[in-house]
Amino acid sequence: MNERPLLQVCVGDTFALSIPAVTTTQLVRYAGASDDYNRIHYDQGYAQEAGLGGVIAHGMLTMGFMGRAVSEWAGPAAFIVDIEARFNAPVRPGDVVVVTGTVADSAPGSDGRQRLRCEIVARVGQKTVASGAAVVAAPLAH
Amino acid sequence: MTEIDHSLIGTSAPPFWVEVERGAIRKFADAIGDDNPLYRDEAFARRHGYDGIVAPPTFPTCFRAPKDPPWIATLDRRRIVAGEMGFHYVRPIVAGMRFECRLQFVGVDEKTGARGAMSLMRQVMSGYRIGEDGVARECVFTVRRTTVYRSAQQVASGSLA
Repeated sequence: MNERPLLQVCVGDTFALSIPAVTTTQLVRYAGASDDYNRIHYDQGYAQEAGLGGVIAHGMLTMGFMGRAVSEWAGPAAFIVDIEARFNAPVRPGDVVVVTGTVADSAPGSDGRQRLRCEIVARVGQKTVASGAAVVAAPLAH
Repeated sequence: MTEIDHSLIGTSAPPFWVEVERGAIRKFADAIGDDNPLYRDEAFARRHGYDGIVAPPTFPTCFRAPKDPPWIATLDRRRIVAGEMGFHYVRPIVAGMRFECRLQFVGVDEKTGARGAMSLMRQVMSGYRIGEDGVARECVFTVRRTTVYRSAQQVASGSLA
């Protein structure tokens, strides 16, 4: 985990996080933890009938990975003020999701903490499965 | 009925209440494979300036009313997929906080994309922190959710497959 207080970050800096392959067990676990029991996420027959070609991961699981990438990069003393994502394509069991982030903007916030805006993309191979942005409040300089 | 009831646009669901439990935070962090000590270790979180164990940024996705809101309850679950989500925080959510959650159906956009016709349902949930006196005051977070409601034809044609 990054303990560096984000104070030397520049626009254009990048970060990345590779997530181990998604498993069906993980989808069941996420269904329980998030209280989202839509059967398209764990019931193969139902997901086929729904025209999805088999179970798909919760979009919010992918967004959870995006949040992980940002918080690991930003470190524990930073505060994620905003995070948003659009889901472009389904993620399926066996897929390896790679999240990349790019610092797009840096400006002081009204509370004196620097605000860093990052663009974040989640991909499986070359395909973008989700894209979005996050705003991080950096810790105060000491 | 399995089509969206546009007369419900602008309405709110009955508010519901949640208490942020540390066990729920840990389970959620486990489910997304996140071993960040902020989500597990209270002393670590306090050393970094928080009042307790912190919730991951997408955690309010598990704040659900006991019943689906009226504009979702009548829909065909197989046609629902996630579109967009956005979380905005005034301050971090930490274990022990209690919230009154207010969910509103903001609007519907009709869209025809490469995958056929779909409706994009926009909803906003606001979380008001409940104080020691039991009164909900400060809005601590908002969640913007766009839910995609696929056409029946899309389901039949397997257009997402």
